[in-house]
Amino acid sequence: MLHKRLYQFVLVYFIGLAFLFAVKGIFNLSDYVIPGLPDIYITVRRVFARYFFDVLNTLSVAIVGHILSIAMATVVGIIGRLSNWMGSLIRTAAFNIQAYPIVAVAPMIFILLGDGLSSRLLIAAMICYFPLLLSFIGILSEPITDIEHFYIHSGRMRWQLEVKIRAFENMNKLITVVAGSATLAMVGTIVSEFIGASAGIGYSIRIALYQSDLSKILVALFLIGIFTSFYLALLEWLGNIVSRNWGAHEA
Amino acid sequence: MMPIECRNINYKYPGANIPVFNNLSCSVGDTGFHALFGQSGVGKSTFARMIAGQLNGFAGEIRTREPGKVYYSYNLERLPGWSGVGEHIEKITPEANRHKIDEIIETFGLLSCIDSGFSQLSLGQRNRVNLARYLLQDFDFLIMDESLANVDEAMREQIIYKIKAMFPEKSFLYISHSVAEVSTFCRNILVLRDFSKSPQALKINGRDNLKGKDVVKNDLEQTMLEIVNAS
Repeated sequence: MLHKRLYQFVLVYFIGLAFLFAVKGIFNLSDYVIPGLPDIYITVRRVFARYFFDVLNTLSVAIVGHILSIAMATVVGIIGRLSNWMGSLIRTAAFNIQAYPIVAVAPMIFILLGDGLSSRLLIAAMICYFPLLLSFIGILSEPITDIEHFYIHSGRMRWQLEVKIRAFENMNKLITVVAGSATLAMVGTIVSEFIGASAGIGYSIRIALYQSDLSKILVALFLIGIFTSFYLALLEWLGNIVSRNWGAHEA
Repeated sequence: MMPIECRNINYKYPGANIPVFNNLSCSVGDTGFHALFGQSGVGKSTFARMIAGQLNGFAGEIRTREPGKVYYSYNLERLPGWSGVGEHIEKITPEANRHKIDEIIETFGLLSCIDSGFSQLSLGQRNRVNLARYLLQDFDFLIMDESLANVDEAMREQIIYKIKAMFPEKSFLYISHSVAEVSTFCRNILVLRDFSKSPQALKINGRDNLKGKDVVKNDLEQTMLEIVNAS
C-alpha cells in the first residue's frame, strides 16, 4: 500500500517537474521564474530540515482535525440517519451548509480565534467534516433490509445494532471516505496556514510566495506529498485491520 | 391456534396502473402446515407481508382471532457478517427454546457449517440457517416465503416433516411454486389468482401427509389437478 502510494506520488511529482522544465526550456524562462536543478538542489540542502518539521506540524494538526471530524460526523450521522424531524433537519442542514465554500469563512475564524492552533484545527476539521458527514448520513440511513428484517420483526433491533449492521455492510465505502477526507484535512490545514497562521508548511509556502522562490515551493510540495502518502497508507492499513478482524467470518 | 381472516382487501402499488388485490377475502392459518400458491407476480409475497404487518396502506381488513406473534421469513435474508452461524443462532434464541437448537440444526443438516460465516455457505444452506433461526423464536404463525428454495427435495421433505412434528400447535403458511410439494404436505392450499378473477383466492384441501404415511396417488393427483385448475 505505502510503496504503491509513494511510487505513484513520486511519479506524478517528477512528471510535474519535467513539465516545468519543459516550459522553462520552450519559453526560455529565467531561473528567477523557474529555477534550474542546481538552484533546487541548493534550496533542498538549505530548507529541507526546517520544512520537514513544518510539514510534520501541519500533518499533526490535520490528523487531529481529521479525527475530530470523523467523531463529529459519526455522532451527527447517527442522528441524521433517523427518519424523524431531527434526522430530517440534520440532513437538510448538512446538504445546505456543505454547498457553501467553508474556506471563505476562514478569515472570520482567524479574526475571532487568532492565528494560533485552534484556528488551524477548526478550519481543517470543517473542511473535511461535511463530505464525511454527507457520506456517513448516506451510508447509515440506507437500510440493509435482508439483514435487518429479522431483528426488526423479532423485536431485537436497537439503534446500536442498526448502526453496526450498516457500518459493517459498507465498511469498504467508509474506509474509502475516511481515507479520502484525510487529503481534505491536509488541504484545510494548509489553506488555513496560507490565510493567517504563523506556523506550518502553509505559512512557509506563503513566505516563499512573497519571495517568489519556486524552488522552496517545490521542496514543500515534495514533502507534503510524501507525508500525505504516509498518512493515507496508515489509514488504509488500519482499515484493512478493522475489516479483517471484524469480518473474520466473511468469505 | 391463530387463524387469520382477510376481508375485502384492495391494494395497488404506488404508481402502478393495475391493482394487486381486488376485494380479496379469505382465511388462513388454523394450526398446521398450509400453503399459499399462485403464479409469479400474483401477489403472494405482498399478501404475506400484509399478514405479517409489514405492508400497510391497503383497503380492507386483516384480523387475527387471537393475539399472537406473526413472523415472516423469506429466502433472501442474510445473517450479519461479523459472527458465525452457530454464534448467531446461540445469541438470538430465547432461553426457553435453547433445547431445540441441536435437534433443528441436525435435522436441517447444518452441523457441518455451524462454525462458518453466512457468506461462506451455499444458497440452500443459507436458506436452511435462516429458517432454523425463525423456528427457534416464540412464534404463533410463521410465513415461509420460499424459505426452502435451493434445498434439495429429500432435505425439504425431511425439514417439513420435522416442522410438522415439532410444532403441531403452531400455524405455518408455506409459499412455494411446487404443486406436488404443497399438495403432499399442506393441510390447506390457498390459491391466489389474478385480480381480474373472482374470487381472487380459492382454498383447496391438501393431503397433509405425515412422516411414515404413504400418499394415495390418485388423491394426490386429484389435489394437484384442483390446484392447477384453480390457478
